Order: sequence, then C-alpha cells, then structure tokens
Amino acid sequence: MACVYIPVQNSEEEVRVALDQLPRDASDILDILKAEQAPLDLWLIIAREYFKQGKLEQFRQILEEGSSPGQLLLAKGEVEQASAAFKIVLDGDRDNVPALLGQACVQFNRGRYSDSLELYKRALQVYPNCPAAVRLGIGLCRYKLGQYDKSRQAFQRALQANPENVEALVALAIMDLNTHEATGIRKGMEKMQRAFEIYPYCAMALNYLANHFFFTGQHFVVEQLTETALAVSNHGPTKSHSYYNLARSYHSKGDYEKAGLYYMASVKEVNKPREFVFPYYGLGQVQLKLGDLKSALANFEKVLEVYPDNSETLKLGQTEKAQEFMRKATKIDPRDAQAFLDLGELLISSDPVAALDSLKTARTLLKKGGEGIPIEVLNNLGVLHFERGEFELAQQTFREALGDGIWLAFIDGKENSPPVDACASVLRYKDMHLFQHLQKEGRVVDLPWSKVTALFNMARLLEQLHNTETASTLYCLILFKYPDYIDAYLRFAAIAKARNNLQLSIELVNDALKVNPKCPKALSMLGDLELKNDDWVKAKETLRAASEATEGKDSYDTLSLGNWNYFAAVRNEKRNPKLEATHLEKAKELYTKVLAQHSANLYAANGAGVVFAEKGHFDVSKDIFTQVQEAASGNIFVQTPDVWINLAHVYFAQGNFALAVKMYQNCLRKFFYNTDSQILLYLARTHYEAEQWQDCKKTLLRAIHLAPSNYALRFDAGVVMQKFSALTLQKEKRTADEVRLTVSELGNAVRVFKQLSASAASNLHFYGFDEKKIDTHVEYCKHLLEAARVHLKNAEHEEQKNRHKQEALRQMALAEEARRKAEEQRKFQLERRMREDELKQVRQQEEHFERIKEQWKSSTSSKRRDRSEIDDEEGGNSEKRRRKGGKRRKKDKHSRSRYETEDVEAEIMDDQEELEDENAKINYREPSGQINDQDDYAEENAHDPLAAAGLEDSDAEDEVAPESTASRRRRAWSESDDDEQLDRQPEPGEIRENYPDMPGSDGGKLDEEGAINDDE
Amino acid sequence: MKLAGLKSIENAHDESVWTATWVPATESRSALLLTGSLDETVKLWKPDDLILHHTNSGHCLGVVSVAAHPSGHFAASASLDSFVRVFDVDTNNTISTLEAPPSEVWQMCFDPKGTILAVAGGGSASVKLWDTATWTLVATLSIPRPEAPKPSDKNSSKKFVLSVAWSPDGKRVACGSMDGTISVFDVGRAKFLHHLEGHFMPVRTLAYSPTDPHLLFSASDDAHVHMYDAEGKTLIGAMSGHASWVLSLDVSPNGAAIATGSSDRTVRLWDIGMRAAVQTMTNHTDQVWGVTFGPAGGPGRLASVSDDKSISLYDYS
Repeated sequence: MACVYIPVQNSEEEVRVALDQLPRDASDILDILKAEQAPLDLWLIIAREYFKQGKLEQFRQILEEGSSPGQLLLAKGEVEQASAAFKIVLDGDRDNVPALLGQACVQFNRGRYSDSLELYKRALQVYPNCPAAVRLGIGLCRYKLGQYDKSRQAFQRALQANPENVEALVALAIMDLNTHEATGIRKGMEKMQRAFEIYPYCAMALNYLANHFFFTGQHFVVEQLTETALAVSNHGPTKSHSYYNLARSYHSKGDYEKAGLYYMASVKEVNKPREFVFPYYGLGQVQLKLGDLKSALANFEKVLEVYPDNSETLKLGQTEKAQEFMRKATKIDPRDAQAFLDLGELLISSDPVAALDSLKTARTLLKKGGEGIPIEVLNNLGVLHFERGEFELAQQTFREALGDGIWLAFIDGKENSPPVDACASVLRYKDMHLFQHLQKEGRVVDLPWSKVTALFNMARLLEQLHNTETASTLYCLILFKYPDYIDAYLRFAAIAKARNNLQLSIELVNDALKVNPKCPKALSMLGDLELKNDDWVKAKETLRAASEATEGKDSYDTLSLGNWNYFAAVRNEKRNPKLEATHLEKAKELYTKVLAQHSANLYAANGAGVVFAEKGHFDVSKDIFTQVQEAASGNIFVQTPDVWINLAHVYFAQGNFALAVKMYQNCLRKFFYNTDSQILLYLARTHYEAEQWQDCKKTLLRAIHLAPSNYALRFDAGVVMQKFSALTLQKEKRTADEVRLTVSELGNAVRVFKQLSASAASNLHFYGFDEKKIDTHVEYCKHLLEAARVHLKNAEHEEQKNRHKQEALRQMALAEEARRKAEEQRKFQLERRMREDELKQVRQQEEHFERIKEQWKSSTSSKRRDRSEIDDEEGGNSEKRRRKGGKRRKKDKHSRSRYETEDVEAEIMDDQEELEDENAKINYREPSGQINDQDDYAEENAHDPLAAAGLEDSDAEDEVAPESTASRRRRAWSESDDDEQLDRQPEPGEIRENYPDMPGSDGGKLDEEGAINDDE
Repeated sequence: MKLAGLKSIENAHDESVWTATWVPATESRSALLLTGSLDETVKLWKPDDLILHHTNSGHCLGVVSVAAHPSGHFAASASLDSFVRVFDVDTNNTISTLEAPPSEVWQMCFDPKGTILAVAGGGSASVKLWDTATWTLVATLSIPRPEAPKPSDKNSSKKFVLSVAWSPDGKRVACGSMDGTISVFDVGRAKFLHHLEGHFMPVRTLAYSPTDPHLLFSASDDAHVHMYDAEGKTLIGAMSGHASWVLSLDVSPNGAAIATGSSDRTVRLWDIGMRAAVQTMTNHTDQVWGVTFGPAGGPGRLASVSDDKSISLYDYS
C-alpha cells in the first residue's frame, strides 16, 4: 500500500503515513504537516488522496490550510507540480477557494503578478471572510505592480483582520522605510519592532532591524539579529540579505577576512546579480583591500552590468574616465538630473567649483521635475558653499537638507537651555537636561540618522559664524541621540578649548576615546590639551600613541612630535647646547619626514623654516615663510598667523625694523583682532631696537591694557622709560622741554618699579621678578631723576640765559631797526627834498620855459614828457639800490648772532662733557648689579616665556656688555621664538579641528548615507 | 528696539579711547559724556553734537577707567599708574587723589546712592571701597584664596580683579577676575558670598540690570555674554555671536536691552527677552573698549568708544 513519509524538522526521522489509512479527522494530519512544515507535494498527495476517497470536506480543509503563501514559499521547488494540481481542481470547480489561493501563489512566484492578483480577487469575491493571507497576497501583488497606495490599504486590512499578522506588519514597515522620510522611517522601525515582538523569528524583520542598527553603528546587535535571521530562514534572498548585513558589519569594523567570507556566502545565495547586487560590490571592495585585484574587478564588472552608471564603481581606479563619461552623459541629456548629481559627486574632491555647478544644476532639474532632493546632495552643496565662504547660502542649503525637526527650535533660538547652577556650570555642556526636559513636555526629540551629517555640518557652520551656543546645543543633540558620534565630541571639546575650559575639553576628548580608544584625532587633541596644561611628558606619550594609531601615516602627529622637539630645544632652561642641537635635529627630521610624504604641508614647511631660522639661515627661512604665507592665503580653513610672525621675526633679526613692524601689525589685525599682547610685545621690542621710544612705550601700555595681570609688561614699560630718559640726558642737544619730559617719564618709571617691588614681595615671584633687582632699577631711576632735575635746572637756566641773550639781541635788533628806520627816514627826507628841489628847478625851468614859450609862441611838448619819464626811472633805481643795502646789513647782523650762538654751544658742550662723565659713572655702577641678576632672571623667567627679558637683555647689553650684536640678536630671536612657539603649538591643532572634519563629513559621511558602504 | 547713528567724532582723542561713561545732568547743565584715553587725557563732551566741553590732562600712562557720581557733580578717572583722580566736573578742580598700593586700579563704579566708590583692585585680588564724603578707604573686599595653593602654582594671580559692579539696591558688589570667575559680596557685612562660574577667560565688564537686583551680566574674552542670577547662583543663559573678546557691556535704563562692544570692532544690541542679538553696528574700525547708555530720564542714547580714536553716539529707541 502506498505510503508517504513526512520528514521531521531538524532531524533525520520521518513520520510514515499510510495513504489508505488516512484519519477521518483531517486536523490530525494537518497538525503533523504544519508542525513539521512538510513540503507542499506531501500536502497535495494527501489532499488528492482525500479527494479520491470522496472525502471532500477533508480535502478542502487540507488545501485551505496548506495554500498560504508561506507554505508555498517553503515549497518553492514544487511550484510547477502545485500549479498543475491547482489547475485540476479549478477546472472542476472554478470557485474553489483553496485552489484559487494556491494558484495565485504559484503565479506570484512565477512573477505573473497581475494574474496572481486576479486569482486573489476572485477568491475574495467567492469567500469574503477568507483568511488575512488573501489580503496579504493582494497587497504583495499590488506592491509588485507598483500600486503602492492600494497595496498599503490591502496590508492595513489584513492587519485589521489580524493585528498580529507579522507579514502584513513587515510589509507595511518596509513600505514606510522606503519613503525615505524621517517620520516614515521612524514609523517603519516601530512596526518592525512590533513585528519582532510578536514573532521574533521573522527573517525579513530581523534583516531590516539589523540594517537599521548597522546605520546607527550598533554592530553587536546587527550580528545577533542576522545570526537569528540566518537560523530561521532558508529562503535564498533573505539569507543573502542576512549574510550581506553580517559582512557589512565586519567590513565597517575593518575585519576584511570575515567580511569577505560573508559577502561570499551572500553572493552564493543570489541567483542573479540583478536581484541583489550589493554583496558583489562589497566583495569587490574587500578583495581590493586584500589585494585580490582580479576578483575585485570581476565583481565590480558585475555591479556595472546592473548599474552601468555606478560612479562609485567607476571611481575605483578610473575617476577621470568616469568624469569624462559623466560629462558626456550630461551633454547628451542636459536634463538628466542623476547624471549631474553623479558628476558633482565625482568632482567634489578634485574641482569644487565645477562640482558646485553641476550639483546646483541637478538640484534645479530635480525641483523642476517635482522630485525630492536627496539629503546628501543638499548636504554636499552646503559643504561646498561653506568651503567657499558663502555662509548664507550654506546655511540655507543645510536648512533645506534638515527639513523640519526639533533642531529648528534651537537654530532659531526658540528653545533656550534652562538655568543651571553657576557653581557646577563647568559640565554644563554635557548636560542632556534640555532634551529630557523637552521630551517630558511631550516634544518629539528625534534625529534620524540620515540627517546627522547635515546637522553636524550646520553646527560647524554656526561655529564659523560665532554662534557657538547654538552649535554646542546641536552637537549635544547629536550626542544625545548617537552617543558614539566621535566628531561631535571633538568639536564640542574644541569649543570648550577655545573658551579655555580645559577641564571640560579634556573630559569630552576622553569620552570620545571611550568610544574608540585609538581614535587618532582624539589622541592628537588630547596631546594638544596636555601641552596647553603644561603636561609635557604626558603630551609626548599621547602624541606618540596618536602617531602609532595611524601607523605614522598621519602627518599631523608627526608634526606635533616635531613641534614638541622644537619646543623642547628652545625651552630648555639650562640651554644645554648639546641637547638643544639634538632636539633641533630631531625636529627637523620629523618636519622633513612630513614634507617628504606631503610636499604641500604648510605646517611642516613652517616648522622647517623655524629650524632654519634657529640655525641662523635667515634667507632660507624667509623664502620658506613667504611661500607658506602665499600658499595659506585663500583658504578659509587655514589660518597661519604664525607664518606672519615668523616672517616678522626674520625681518627683525635682519634689522629690517620697518618691515617687521608692518608685518606684526598686519598679523595682529588680520588674525587676532588686535588682542594678542604677545605680538604687541614683539612689536614693542622692534620699536625698542629701532629706538622709537614713544611708540615702544605706547605699544607696551596697550599690551598692559590687554593683559593686565602680566607684570612683565609693566617692568618692560618701566625699562623703556628709563632707557629713553637716560638717552635723552646723554643727547648732545636737548631742549628744556625734552628734559622736562624726561623728568616726568622718570617719575613714571620710578612709580612703576616701586609698584612692582611692592607687589614682588606678595605674589609676583613666579614672574621671575627679584625684589633686589627691581630696587636696583628704582634706585637707578631715582638717581637719573636727580640728575635730570639738575639738568632740568641747568637747561632751564640755560633757557633763561638764552632768553636773556635773545632778549638782548632782540633789543639790539630793535635799536638797529630803529636806527635803520631813522636813517631811511632821513634818506627819504633827503631824497624828497632833493626831488622837491629838482621839481622846483624843473618847475622854475618850466616856468622859465613857459615864459620863453610864451615869448616864442611855439612848443615841443613831447620832449618835455620824455624828460619826466627818465626822471621817474632814476628814482626807481635808487630805491632798489637802497633795498640791497638794507639786506647786506641784515646779513651782517646774522653772522654776528651766529658767533654768539656758537659761544653758547661751547658752554653747553662743556656741560655735556661733565654730564657724560656723570652718566658714565652711573652706567658703570648700575649694571654691575643688573648683570648679576641677569642670569638668575633669565633662568627664572625661562618657564614664563613672556620675554620681559627680550627687552631687558638688550637693554642691559646696550648699556653694559659689549656683546656682539649678532649674538645678541640671535638670543633675542631665540627667546622670541620660544614665545612664538607657544603660539604656534596649538596651531596645527587648529587645522585638525577645522580641516579634516569638513572633508570627512562630506566625503566619508556621504558614503554612510548611501546604500553602499564605502569604508575607504 | 533699535539703534540709529547720530554722530561720530573721528580722532576724538590722539590715541585709543579706552573708557566712557555718562555724567548725569545737574540743575545747571545737561548730561555729559566722559571719555578717557591712552593719550593721558580725559575729555567731556556735550551731546548730541559731541562738542568738546573740556579736556583734563595730568594723568600718566593712559586712562583706563572713568566713573561719574550719580549727582553729576563729580567724577573719577583712573590711569595705568594706579592713581584715581576725583574731580569736580564743572570746575575741573581736583577733589582728591586716591591710591592703595600695591593695588592697581581697573574698573570703577559709584554705588547707586553715591556714598561709596568701588574700585577693582587688580593683583590685590580685592575690591577697594572709598567713602565719597571723606575719601578714605572704608573697606577692602578680598576674594578668598583657594586653600593651600601649590608652591609651583603659577596661577595665584588668577584672581586678578578687572571689573566691578553694584547691584541697583546697593547691597551687593560683584567683581570679575582674569580667570573668569565672578565673586559676589555682601557690602553691608563686607563679606564674600559666593563665586559665579562659567567663564574661563578674563571678565572685562560686569553690569547689573537696573531693574532687577538679581540679574547680572558679564562680558568675557571667551566672546560670550553670560546672564546670571547673582543671588540664586545660577547661570540663566549664555549669548554668543561676537567673533572675539567682549570688552564692554551696558544695560539699558529700562532693563530690556544690553549693548556690548567687542574686539571684533562691532557694537551689538541684544534683546534680553529673546536672548539674541537684534542689531550689529560696524562703524568702528578697531576694538570697541566702551559702550554706555545715557542716564535714565534723558533721551535714549548709547555711546561707544574705540581703539580707532573715535567716539560714536547712537539714538536708542
């Protein structure tokens, strides 16, 4: 007798069922079939047997139970047979519901969705109370046919009929997820979760959940979910998806071996690449990483078959060809938005301007077509605007990318952080209070993963616009939702660092290191912070660790180590020349190493320039600095004030003070809003060397105003006034006004020194001040003051004497003038008398002539007129002659007074000699104390590099030690660099904070957003 | 609220103008603007055309702070040489010269009744209170030093006091330090009450709201303006927007707005209700060291002074 064997699930055993002894009650056999998930042909055989035996009720029962799509799926291999069987039944009874359903399933699996839909519909008409499976089938068919709304309705109805229907839930969830909208995705994930709770072994739901957790970076959960999915499913495509998820997870963790294995498994489950192409792509990437180029190429080719325009694929190795191809594509069809998008993405790294253009075109085209613009495109556009300094446009674009959400409340300043305890406010920014508070109020605090990048970039932009408060809130929001987002920690730490909140900054970096203890960025930043905290040894270790974390590939850490060495070289208190040389050599080596790797690295070039300068090769260093400066201008993310300062230092060292001053001033204005008292100090030193005392003093006063607690600046101001006064008193020529000014300056100097001396006792020891030394200055200034008073008296006396003399001279001149005037008057009178006489004579002659004329009754008037003109002329000439005479007299007077002045000067000269003797005495006495202190001072001062000594040294040397100018300059130089290095040190940190973040967030992040993960 | 430029005087001083305040009107004359500069002079200006009323000289090393007595009759000016000169506004007679060595002199402020002059004492880590009747030192409000500072601690100068402010009820004095902390004192008992934290860079200016004796504003080098409840020890809010140090700050007489001046060369007007900048003035070309609202009762005025040697006057409405 014929038997069938029902295999027992997960074992080798079988249940034997004799066909002629089928039980009267079909439910017994149904239980077995269901429990063991028997293949469909067994169901059919048994159903057929019941049919043969005429037990129609049982036949119907088995087919009804056995024809759910799930069962059909399980029995995929026997589709044709099943179809034939259903056909037999349907030929007999057109409206046989179970057969209709079975056939519908068959058609669905054959891909004939409309046929399948017809069958389902008929089943529904015949039997309106049919199980949810029918609705589900309708929904799936409609989904496949692209009738999404109707399909959604069908699923929803299925769900109404049975709220626990996992398949319907999953289907709806997938539809929600595919909307690519924040709310949709959230709803979808909720449904998935519910499905998972109802029935934790639905492979499809597990896969989607895993997919979600992959994007949120929770790799452990991904692995758990996919492993479960693999265990419960033997459906090829589903398994393939699970393997792919697992592979991706390992891929992103950098475990290429495992990732490769799983990609391979995933690929094996795929019949045709067209069905599921992603694992091929992943496999290709991994093989590329592992060096198996041939296989990688084969896989990429498969990807290209499916996506002939996959630019990601083309990019590998043939970017340019791809660009060309895309350019052609855009030309062929100037309305193909996708082509423009791809072109834009290709161009981002090589040609930002062109990239911006093509992305803009793509955006316009998409808008025209009424299509939504993908977030990542808007994000890239925003970044491009940002990099070009078009902040307004960037902000608009990011806003568009972000759409509606809780962040708008923060960006628009509608939500402010609640008040916090001002005594505990150090950690204020780590406070997630705000969001919890908002959640309590019933606001949705949500942030879809797809928008995190755009939000992060928005925060970066706000930072650039100095709106750090809002930027902090946004970083906080990111961390609230995604506590593993390292970049947000680091930017956050950078903000705290800029506000000098080192404690918070270090804490944040440590949080970042908790997420990834080997994150080189975080380690570099920590090193930087430790340097700032003056924690040298720790800093070196941290920087080393950072360097190791990147296997020496990242130049930043090498650079930092170079700086560290340089720093150590010039910092050494004892100035051990051997040690200095080794450190310098090491620094140079490290800079050169970086330069060898990245010939365009500004910071390494700058460092090399500094080392050259340190060794005295000013010309070389000047060239380097100038080049660096030129290269640095034009990028908003590269700020290199230190190059300017270094250039200025070189000018200074070469004695080109005017240029140095200009350079310092420009640098102050361009980079520091004139707030850097250190550069003001350099400026003051330059003025000092250039002997521009008043400028020097004013500059120092400004510096004091900016940095009131820096007493070294006060000391310097005192020294300048002292120096200025001493020099004025030594001057050969000086007016009483000058001396008066000197006296008041000396008064100020005495006051400044006295105040310092008074403070020195209490709290100034750390500035390296020595009471005794300041007292020496006080004494010296007082002495000068006394001398100056004498000089003032002398000068005033002199002035008075001069005034007397001048008065006398004036009197004499007046007398002379009077005499001259009298003389002139006399002459004038004389002349007039003569002229009158002449006129009289003429008149007499005329009269005489008239008389004769009358007598002769004829005249020649013209002759007479000529004559009178000649007379006039003669008169003019004599006038001129007289004036000349006057002048000659004046000259005489002058020469006389000059002799007098010379006499006066001779007297002054005598005074001067005396005075110089006096000064010389002072000079010998005063510095003796100073020079001894000098060394102590330098030593104490070394750890506080605000080089009061810069001024002090040269002052002492000018007055005392005839040390060679060269060596003095060199010293001033190196000291200044000491300081400068302090400035410079955090500078590379700045690049770090600014630069890699942006490209990182536009390149790397993009990939994360796309379906394909590129871990390049 | 809005600012509208009224008048600007270029080269009002020969050097950077570092400080400004309004001298209230008296029976015989209207309010005057008092400015101090690195050029060692103090000048009095008549609004609204900013006509130079008088120039006082005699200071050495640059004038860092000026303060006017609420009566409008006398004022004080302080310079880097740490002398405070108290003078009669109308006659320019010196009333008194104050010094408390080795304490330097930074921001100064008369109490609302005019009986005490508070002077930020720099490195002495204290605020000196001077009686305005006798011109004698009546109290020194010292910031308590952290216990047992480490000998290697370079930061003992951190409590260097730069700024000072009186609460409108005259009961409290707040002072700001180089390290960013703000200390609040009970004047009646001459007692330190508590610190307000949040800044970690110098606090250059402090100002109480004239309408709320608890509300204190601070301007710091960290480019932020903080809003504290000085009694409840809470940081109510922080406002960012300046690109560099915030040097100066003043609260409008109605307490609804504050104005700030910054190294970024701008003057900003902030709405306290919105906690946001509503206007930015960019007429200065260098750091803005002083902003000051005209006295209550007069027309709404704001004056700003800058390193660019100029003075600007705005209408505030």
